[in-house]
Amino acid sequence: MTRQKKPALVITFHATSQAMAAEELFRRAGLPGRMIPVPSQIAAGCGLAWKALPQERDALCTALDTAAVGHSGCFLLEMY
Amino acid sequence: MIQVNAMGDACPIPVVKTLRALKELNGAGTVQTLVDNRAAVENLTRLAESKGCAIETEQLGEKEYRVTITVGEDAELPESADGICTVPAAADNTVVAVSAGHMGEGDEVLGKILLKGFLFALTQQETLPRTILFYNGGAFVTCEGSASLEDLRKLESLGVEILTCGTCLNHYGLTEQLRVGGVTNMYVIVEKQMQATKVIRP
Repeated sequence: MTRQKKPALVITFHATSQAMAAEELFRRAGLPGRMIPVPSQIAAGCGLAWKALPQERDALCTALDTAAVGHSGCFLLEMY
Repeated sequence: MIQVNAMGDACPIPVVKTLRALKELNGAGTVQTLVDNRAAVENLTRLAESKGCAIETEQLGEKEYRVTITVGEDAELPESADGICTVPAAADNTVVAVSAGHMGEGDEVLGKILLKGFLFALTQQETLPRTILFYNGGAFVTCEGSASLEDLRKLESLGVEILTCGTCLNHYGLTEQLRVGGVTNMYVIVEKQMQATKVIRP
């Protein structure tokens, strides 16, 4: 079966504790996405990242800023 | 006529099974072998042609071929499948064996995150494993409440076989909670690993 890669938003963090705090925050706020290992195309911070659809970027970043959960970057990647 | 089912078998198994059946004929006769890939058809064709046997191939479905080999009275059959399987039917038969709900030893909370990440990373590979086995604490990963169900369903839809140990589901009271893949037993768990080109244990 053939697969196609689709654009994905990937938010990276400085530390694992931030990634876990972000997961908790997003889950409580009912925000979309999931935790994944940082894709190898990105060399950044800790090994965990948040993956969501590109259009969720503003909602997710606003939630992080409001809760003062630091993150190290936002990337657009092609993923399966 | 002898019928041989070699569906799902990697080279040289279809040739070995067919050869065994040809020998069973003990003289003239016909052997019909079912295989699921083109390479196995080519290997069987080579087997037949090298011995001057008549061969007929029919494609029954997208991944189903029936190869009919007819031998005469004085056909000389090769002793083994050596030299016949130059085209591997399945170059890669990777099996992933998940034996716990966490990856590695140490912090179990971290271990669960790592296993979730491992299964996600599997979905991102260009070449996927053929089978993923779940047993003991690994049985929880295919059941209700697992954080990896979405990834496992995706893998299953791409043709990866997902199998969970039935004894383990029963032991943990999870029999009704299985949400992805099928139930299996120890014989299949052993067989899948024996036939694998490599086994990965997260």
